[in-house]
Amino acid sequence: MAATTAASRLDFAPAYRRPGPLRRLGRTARQHPAGVFGFIVLVLFVFTGIFGPALAPYDPDALSVGRPLEGPSLQHPFGLNQNGQDMFSRVIAGARVSLIISSAAIFIGAASGAFLGILGGYYGRWLDYIIQRSGEAFAAFPSLVLYFMLRAALGPGIEAIIAAIAIGALFGGNRVLRSATIIEARQTYVEAARAIGCSEWRIFIRHVVPNVLPLVIVIMSGALGGAILAESALSFLGLGPDVVSWGRDMSGQNLSIARTGYWHVVVFPGIAISLVVLGANLLGDSLRDIWDPRLRR
Amino acid sequence: MRQYILRRLVYVPLIMAIVSVLAFFTLRMPWAIDPVTLYVNQNTTLEQEQEIRRELGLDKPPLQQFFIWLGQVARGDLGETFRSRQPVWQEIARRLPVTLEILILSIFFSTLFGVTFGVITAVKQNTPIDYLFRFFAVFGQSIPDFFLLILLIVLPSIWWNYSPPVGGHIPFTQDPLENLRLYLPPTILLGVGGAAAMMRLTRSSLLEVFRQDYMRTARAKGLPGRAVVLQHGLRNTLIPIVTLIGGQITALFFGSLILEQVFSINGLGQFFLVSSVTGDFPVIQTLVLYTAIVVMGMNLLVDISYALIDPRVKYT
Repeated sequence: MAATTAASRLDFAPAYRRPGPLRRLGRTARQHPAGVFGFIVLVLFVFTGIFGPALAPYDPDALSVGRPLEGPSLQHPFGLNQNGQDMFSRVIAGARVSLIISSAAIFIGAASGAFLGILGGYYGRWLDYIIQRSGEAFAAFPSLVLYFMLRAALGPGIEAIIAAIAIGALFGGNRVLRSATIIEARQTYVEAARAIGCSEWRIFIRHVVPNVLPLVIVIMSGALGGAILAESALSFLGLGPDVVSWGRDMSGQNLSIARTGYWHVVVFPGIAISLVVLGANLLGDSLRDIWDPRLRR
Repeated sequence: MRQYILRRLVYVPLIMAIVSVLAFFTLRMPWAIDPVTLYVNQNTTLEQEQEIRRELGLDKPPLQQFFIWLGQVARGDLGETFRSRQPVWQEIARRLPVTLEILILSIFFSTLFGVTFGVITAVKQNTPIDYLFRFFAVFGQSIPDFFLLILLIVLPSIWWNYSPPVGGHIPFTQDPLENLRLYLPPTILLGVGGAAAMMRLTRSSLLEVFRQDYMRTARAKGLPGRAVVLQHGLRNTLIPIVTLIGGQITALFFGSLILEQVFSINGLGQFFLVSSVTGDFPVIQTLVLYTAIVVMGMNLLVDISYALIDPRVKYT
């Protein structure tokens, strides 16, 4: 009896209590204002990409909703193009194709590239050799040449674009993940798991993969900016799908009209691309600083 | 060194063989576009279609086509384009000077500005100048190069009601001054993205080198600060920088195409773009082979330069 009271009287509460997850998130956010800005921009981008057409004040394809080539005004914040289409609505609608292509390319390319890197790093031997050598070969090949080849083979359509950007992103972070996995696979806890009889596959999925997962997110967010840039550049070249997109609105007729002084026709889609890519880059940089300072360049 | 180069060159035919098989058969997969459909209309009779197919050499089975093409390439004949029926080699040679000039100028500017600002920001680490340039570098990496080039055209038209000339090409050999007046502004802008990446790389590698013992020794023996940074510091960061320059040469091919598009210049990028849209197989096959050669040559040059930069690197 006396022993229990003595124990309960002892103050075991540590002087420092680890703050809750929300508080820790808030602290990290305050240290990385640029990352928070990037996160907000990307959330807005995804939101606009999904609900864009519902948000746009005008139908982005509707002709003559105002006087053609009118400059920015309260009613048309980004002005109108030569067909009398509302540029503000077109910029909002353009987010969708950018979101679809870049996220598809990232999830196919960067994610499977990350998986290959982890697999090669953990298994080693011939598998690692094949993955690393083909990674070098692909990294050397410009994705534009790859796209040209796929475009000639597959014709117009979204598949060739997604495939080219995805292959470009495939081996981006492969190397980094491979070395991180090699380090992780030599840790004592992996040895312990093996000692109690876990199968290699279980060790890989349950122990190694979760420990390098933050790096995968860092690499995917880093690749996102590049994917959006690539998509907009291909659309600008007239190679994109036949829908409203930022790159396409800056090319062709709009570009020649802009040369005669109607800057608003091309400048607002350009600002939209720059802003989203800036957001993706800032978020990627901050995530990298938080999760893996070794990657800092 | 010579042995190392020879051993590297042994791999070239092997890689070329793999690349040519990949390029050739990707274009002739069962689901691939049949280019003949792009050269017929509703008035073309079946016989005419067969005739076109025969002329383009597409009537034979793919494997036979492959060996015919391989035999041609081995003899130095890259075939004729489907569209203009001119030798592919001639069409490329005609457009090469423009694209080459764009590439050389933009690589020059991105390296010049990138390394200069990288050194400045590293020396002035954590000062307002450092923050300012790094802030610009993040922007430089985020703004699409075609947007920068468009602004180059659009901004003068707003401010001075003047639009830079578009579509003209004056060969450097004919009028160097006029040629540079035409190409300098856009190639400087094209180099912005590369310069930003180069600046960040130079800055971080230089900061790493600054922590080394030999840097302290150099300062301790009384070398002036400039000599310490440039001779001891920068020399030891050259390896990552040269690697990045090698990588940029392939990346800037995209940039060159963008520049050609914005300024209506008929260069290599345009030619390959049109060829891929019109299913011009001989051109695309040549493009892939050509890229493989350029990339392998680049990598070899970069590796050789390591030995020139750093005497500790020895190839045997």
